[in-house]
Amino acid sequence: MTATSIRATDTRPRRKSNRPIWDEEPSIAGKVVKALFMLCYAAAIVLPIWAVVATSFASEEALTRAGGNLLILPTEVSWQAYREIFSGGALTDSLVLTLILTFGGTAISMVLTICGAYALSRTGSLLHRPILWLILLTFLFGPGMYPSFLVVQKLGLFNSYWSLILPGAVGTFNIIILRAFFMNSIPGELIDAAKMDGAGEFRTLFRIVLPMSKAILAVIALFYAVGYWNLYFQAVLYTPGLDTQPIQVVLQRMLMSSQGLPDGAQAAAQYQSQGEAAPTAALKMAVVVCTIIPIVIMYPFIQKHFTKAVITGAVKG
Amino acid sequence: MATLQSTAPPDADRTPDRVIVRRKRTVGQRLRHDWPLLLLALPVVAHLSVFHYWPTAWNIIAFMDYSPYRPFWENPFVGFAWFERLFNDPYFTPALLNTLKFATLNLVFMFPLSIVLALAMNSIISIKARSAFQSIVYLPHFFSWVLVVTVFVQVLGADGLISNWIMDGGGERLNFTSNPDTFLLLVWMQWAWKDAGWGMIIFLAALASINPSLYEAAASDGANRWRRMWHITLPGIRPVIILLLILQIGGILSVGFEQYQLQRQSIGYQSTEVLDTFVYYQSIIGNQGESFGTAAGLFKGVIGLILILVANKIAHRLGEQGIYQKS
Repeated sequence: MTATSIRATDTRPRRKSNRPIWDEEPSIAGKVVKALFMLCYAAAIVLPIWAVVATSFASEEALTRAGGNLLILPTEVSWQAYREIFSGGALTDSLVLTLILTFGGTAISMVLTICGAYALSRTGSLLHRPILWLILLTFLFGPGMYPSFLVVQKLGLFNSYWSLILPGAVGTFNIIILRAFFMNSIPGELIDAAKMDGAGEFRTLFRIVLPMSKAILAVIALFYAVGYWNLYFQAVLYTPGLDTQPIQVVLQRMLMSSQGLPDGAQAAAQYQSQGEAAPTAALKMAVVVCTIIPIVIMYPFIQKHFTKAVITGAVKG
Repeated sequence: MATLQSTAPPDADRTPDRVIVRRKRTVGQRLRHDWPLLLLALPVVAHLSVFHYWPTAWNIIAFMDYSPYRPFWENPFVGFAWFERLFNDPYFTPALLNTLKFATLNLVFMFPLSIVLALAMNSIISIKARSAFQSIVYLPHFFSWVLVVTVFVQVLGADGLISNWIMDGGGERLNFTSNPDTFLLLVWMQWAWKDAGWGMIIFLAALASINPSLYEAAASDGANRWRRMWHITLPGIRPVIILLLILQIGGILSVGFEQYQLQRQSIGYQSTEVLDTFVYYQSIIGNQGESFGTAAGLFKGVIGLILILVANKIAHRLGEQGIYQKS
């Protein structure tokens, strides 16, 4: 740790991969310790994920041989678990539902966020300040779980899929990020010029502002999409009575049933009533893989813009 | 030097070139000019009114003997009776203490971890190695808690990978994921796995904004790595550290829900109960009633509000910007 910290002092932006001339070369021991530390940290993240993928491809016999659980490498690849997921049963329904929620929710959230952020980026307009305060105050005080639950009930959204989208559709932090981007990264002259040429607010938004903000819009859409895809708490709270649950809830029930815990009893009973065996480790891990895949597919495209998005909202260099 | 912009007051946006003098116009004229912007803001305002401010107003039932089965105005006001009952509840104090325990753990062992990681990361010279490493460590941030808990059970659980290895070697079965005594360590490991990498991102940006010529000047004056870190790097990222610290302190009673709810059955409620799960299990699942759950939530919200205002005040006194300035 000490060696790592010593190496850690060497902090500055640098030209390509060259060490600046004024910087002393660190000791070999320091380099080795840091490299080891970084490798161990990366391995601690990658190896469990790899083990999950490996297990999902394992056959029943291979799992029994290995003691009923994880393997490092499957000896022969079995697609059995994946066939089961996509065979049109409850798991398929759940995946389809979660996909619909993700796409629908993200679309709704993006429309609200873009409109709000653009309106607030035009300072000096009528009611600009009260509306901005309305948004900023949400950071300071949350209404609490029970009152939110009560309002969802009063709106008749309890046990309706809308309750999984609507209450959390606006991320006020995302509005602030996007607004800061509109204000700082899009030249005011450009917008003034568009106005001068007779473009209204809507045309300015769609023709000038949005095309210049593709990267940050992609990141914010990813944040929303991941939120909807990983949705669990809202489903537990607002839609406990629905048959088809989001995939995270299904995964939780599978986990509970395999640990022999009460919450899993419901899932276990469901499997028995359908004449299916309780989920094997491979099936469980295959569901985990299915919940990871969309994230991993989107990730490389958007990852390079993360810093920009997070920083636009929080830190201005 | 990084300056904080996120929750700056409306005054901050008055960059001179964007302000159009409109003082002489009447409201009607402004309305005619600005109606498209108001129309664009309307959905967000409506959404926040319905899903944020309306529930906020419902917090009033914490002071009432509320029953959903009678008209609202017939519910009698009872003052702080629900709060008294809350503080005398045998499950509330443990939940509060657990929450504070986890929050302290976060503040002391997670927050500095991200800073140390960011410093280590920033010292990697090779850009390729850096971006590869970044890609890996940011990824778990996007995983759900269900997934994180599942992976932990698979690796560290009683039937998990490591347990199997230990048993192959003739050892005892591991019960790490169902042991209340080590739950704090488990929570920390899950946090570290999921979010320590992501926590770096904002520090890395702050580090990148430090002027490199400062380091060069310090180095040519004979300052070694330690001194450069102490006198340049840390002061350079101090505003960001303070900002995040204030937010952390404000969120001290909001340690999350899912991570604890998910492990409640395997660990037991004594060790996993936090304020949010308390509200859920006592009031929504249980039969303590609407007013009781609302009072518990209101308690949490008000303490959070006070803490964030106080922390911000202290930051101002220390000459920092904090999350907002006086307007």
